[in-house]
Amino acid sequence: MQIFIQTIVTGLVTGCLYALIALGYSMVYGVLKLLNFAHGDLYMVGAFIGYYIIQWFGGSSALIIPVWLVIIVMLLVSAVAVGGLGVAIERFAYRPLRDAPRIAPLITALGISFILEDSVLLLFGGYVRSYNTPSFIPYSASFHISGVNISSMQVLIVALSVAMMAGLFVLVNRTLFGKSMRAVASDREAAEMLGINVNRTIAMTFFVGSAMAGVAGVMSGLANEPISNIIGFLAGLKAFTAAVVGGIGSIPGAMVGGLVIGFCEAFSASYISSQYSDLIVFGILIATMLIRPQGIFGTPPLQKV
Amino acid sequence: MKARRLFIGALGVMALASVTIFGATSSAHVAKVAAAKCSTSISVEAPYATGPATQQGLEQLHFAQYAVAADNKAFGIHVSLGKNDTGLNPALATTVTNSVVASGAVAAVGPAGSQEVEAIGPIYAKAGMAFISGSATNSALTTSGANPTFFRVVAPDAVQGPQDANYIIKKLKPKAVLIIDDEEAYSTGLVSVMQPILANAGITVNHQSYNGTDTGATLQSDMSSLVSSQLNPSETVVILPWQSAPNANLFATTMAAAGKTATIFGTDGTDSPGQFVASGAYVSNFGPDISTSKSKLDKAIVKGVAKFGPYGSFGLPTYAATDVLMRAIASVCKAGKKPSRSNVLAAVKKTKIPAGQTPLGLNIAFKSDGDLKNGVFYLFHINAKGTYVPVPTKA
Repeated sequence: MQIFIQTIVTGLVTGCLYALIALGYSMVYGVLKLLNFAHGDLYMVGAFIGYYIIQWFGGSSALIIPVWLVIIVMLLVSAVAVGGLGVAIERFAYRPLRDAPRIAPLITALGISFILEDSVLLLFGGYVRSYNTPSFIPYSASFHISGVNISSMQVLIVALSVAMMAGLFVLVNRTLFGKSMRAVASDREAAEMLGINVNRTIAMTFFVGSAMAGVAGVMSGLANEPISNIIGFLAGLKAFTAAVVGGIGSIPGAMVGGLVIGFCEAFSASYISSQYSDLIVFGILIATMLIRPQGIFGTPPLQKV
Repeated sequence: MKARRLFIGALGVMALASVTIFGATSSAHVAKVAAAKCSTSISVEAPYATGPATQQGLEQLHFAQYAVAADNKAFGIHVSLGKNDTGLNPALATTVTNSVVASGAVAAVGPAGSQEVEAIGPIYAKAGMAFISGSATNSALTTSGANPTFFRVVAPDAVQGPQDANYIIKKLKPKAVLIIDDEEAYSTGLVSVMQPILANAGITVNHQSYNGTDTGATLQSDMSSLVSSQLNPSETVVILPWQSAPNANLFATTMAAAGKTATIFGTDGTDSPGQFVASGAYVSNFGPDISTSKSKLDKAIVKGVAKFGPYGSFGLPTYAATDVLMRAIASVCKAGKKPSRSNVLAAVKKTKIPAGQTPLGLNIAFKSDGDLKNGVFYLFHINAKGTYVPVPTKA
């Protein structure tokens, strides 16, 4: 029972990270019908930003400001910087191809992904880094409940992810921007005719989605995961799987899909073997495409008779 | 008469001056000719730019660069060093090896990983080129016969595995251990050597695997699952024969965060001070730590490599590997021949470097299969400050 609950904790944390990245995929697909394969690398850039902020404030063993303040700065700076990067990518790489055949921006997205990875490699080298979180958040700051261990970082990741997802839900459903976004996702030309600034709406969508990926990158680093220029590739693929399973283009779908993938990964690693967890996750992707291609929350495409 | 004497004297001085000048330029010319004749190139293959072991790859690169600079000066030869990043990836290693072969280099240093040697051994064999690794330890690399031009200046896993297993049995005395491989040839090779020894000593061995190429949240999920569901309370030692020191550190921190206190035992792939810093863990390595050695040679090496990059014990054997090649080239040149792949290979096979002339502290000579004769492994214990403290390996 202890292993079961511990696995749920692991799955929840992993699922929340995948959900945050998957939301970006779904939002961009919703407004542009584009699978932004560079999205996983925005998560990687966010992780690097967080790492260098720690170094700027003295390094993990000798922070010159309180830990809570460093974490807030990391999250905010990463969100704004990666959000801005997402807007720049949309403006210069995707907007000129908005009316081109769908394959063109898809290939561009792959190219952007490689550019981001190799740029980080050239700028910072291939040395694998770590936030070394235990240096500033000791192991004693953990909760032990009936043999189940929950670290303070895991609590922070889940709490922050839930807060961000709730905030996004409010943004999309209760604000003018959200209304504009849903209108553009529904019919871009009609939205434009109604006076909605489509370019600004799409840019803001990219900003929000990319910011969430950047924050996910920082949280991964705080979970003490090794940071390198290639971490975005697998995370992006898993998040893409989550978005498809939940229903590509659906925001609640991305959240649920992320959790589904996170739990599947954790349970397969715990009860079968971590050797098979990737196999199982991508098997779920194929099964989804075969059985319910629109995903859990997606709507089947209308067929005109 | 006097004028005649003066004239003869002047002629003599001029003759002497001419002979001197001619001799000097001739020596310089001969030296230049000799250097030109002994001008060749070798290549180093190491994961210094990409992949999970760039820290170790950089150490290897820097030691190779220093060895070439120092031996060019010592032997009066001119060898240039090409550098090639392999990312610890067999596919990338294959690509760079093909370009090394095409470049005309007479021999190579590296690669780092056993899985890379498996991939490129046949390429170098076909080219008739010697390649010497300072870190590939899988025993089958020399016993399979598939890599006839492969040499190594480190002991194979057939030495590391039993040494580590016996140390664990006699000093750590566990009743049960967890050993986790990362599915690579290096890792599974060590497990296949250590597991029977531990089992024969009456220790229960729990063997698990994880995907060593996982990154990010997937990797964290793997570690969390291994710690929470695979590490049983009775298993007081966890053996990590991995090639990624950061992954080993992540396992250690995940384990500590879960409140578990098993002793971690890492093999040479986890030797990376600064990346694997788990207090109380052990790390075995094929190279000694000469950073505090009082020997003249060791001090010169530590000082010399610092011009290229920071010192590290993982990269030290690559200095020895490069030195072997440089000595082989120098011996070919001394015999009046132009270095070629075949004569350098033949010279490498005859290598005999006494212990006092190498920082590894042992004679360097190769068996017929390319293995180092009488190779040993070293053991370190990580203290609370993250420092690697040498410990005696005799259990």
